[in-house]
Amino acid sequence: MNTSPLRLIALPLLAAAATAAPAATAWVTDAASSKLTFVATQAGGEFEGRFARFTPSIVFDPADLAHSRFSVDIATGAAETGEHDRDNILKGKDFFAVERWPQARFEARVFRATGPASYEAAGKLTLRDVTRDVRLPFTFKRGANGKSAVLAGTTTVRRLDFGVGQGEWIDTQWVGNDVRIHFDLNLKQAPP
Amino acid sequence: MPLRNTAENYGSLAKLLHWSIVILIIVQYFIAEAADELPDGLEKLQVLSRHKSVGMLLLMLAVVRILWKLANKGQPVPVGTGALKKAAAAGHGLLYLLLLLQPISGWAMSAAANYPVTFFGWFQFPALVGAHPGLHEILEDVHSVLFYSLLAVAVLHIFAALYHHFAMKDDVLKRMLPLGKRTG
Repeated sequence: MNTSPLRLIALPLLAAAATAAPAATAWVTDAASSKLTFVATQAGGEFEGRFARFTPSIVFDPADLAHSRFSVDIATGAAETGEHDRDNILKGKDFFAVERWPQARFEARVFRATGPASYEAAGKLTLRDVTRDVRLPFTFKRGANGKSAVLAGTTTVRRLDFGVGQGEWIDTQWVGNDVRIHFDLNLKQAPP
Repeated sequence: MPLRNTAENYGSLAKLLHWSIVILIIVQYFIAEAADELPDGLEKLQVLSRHKSVGMLLLMLAVVRILWKLANKGQPVPVGTGALKKAAAAGHGLLYLLLLLQPISGWAMSAAANYPVTFFGWFQFPALVGAHPGLHEILEDVHSVLFYSLLAVAVLHIFAALYHHFAMKDDVLKRMLPLGKRTG
């Protein structure tokens, strides 16, 4: 493989030029009114939790899916389930291990339309030290003025695929493997 | 033994409900105590989930018990006269009330902590209240106070039954014993 200094410099430059070229619309997420929640199962019953802090970076244009991209940083330490002891277990070493892996990340660069306002992103979710492909169906609806939009979707992941639930928590009879993730983002067009 | 109550004796269904409730309340106490000893973990989740399921079973049994009592018009009534008879009626009323309130407070307590309540994992009961940590703390105390109230009234209930049997020498105790038969 050619590893000349020139090539090492040129490659990132080319990559930067490619992504910067025709910008699909960049959006700013209104954190206060947007939410990222999950529904998990314990003892056969469902409960909902949320991530109180997450930072989406959304570039999306239905007319320019090729240049659209999502990246969402999620503060695993901001997971809330409405009960202190359960929150501690979730943030502890057997689940999110937030001291070691404080961030989870979702990234997608491949999009396809599945309906008039519905799409699917093929991305990668990193939780703990595991990265896996995740398909994310979502809807994108522009507001009347075109300057705002609502991006919402739901997908299901298996927690054990990411090592969320070590040791005794591998048991899926008492803590279900499937976790439904839902997001609802209120977007405003970023200033140019 | 007939299924339905008669004027002199409780029927088999009333007896079955009465004694199942007694046994399950004792079981519940020990499950709760065991859960208190456990550190946060899978085993605690299992034990507490069983406590919730058995609690919901107790609630259903209490409802059936009360409905069955209402459906049996000719059932045994408190024996005696005056204040003691009134006290017996009030005591029974309080017992039924506590049998309902104790599981309901636990159910609400779980909901306040956003914990699902299921029936042994088969199906999930709806949340009685919204998730609220402050409310959870209050309901935890209520659940505990209700238990000791239930215990106190149950002890009175037992003493009253023994008093009937040994002091008044009537059939009040026997008519609820699992295989009890009238002597007179």
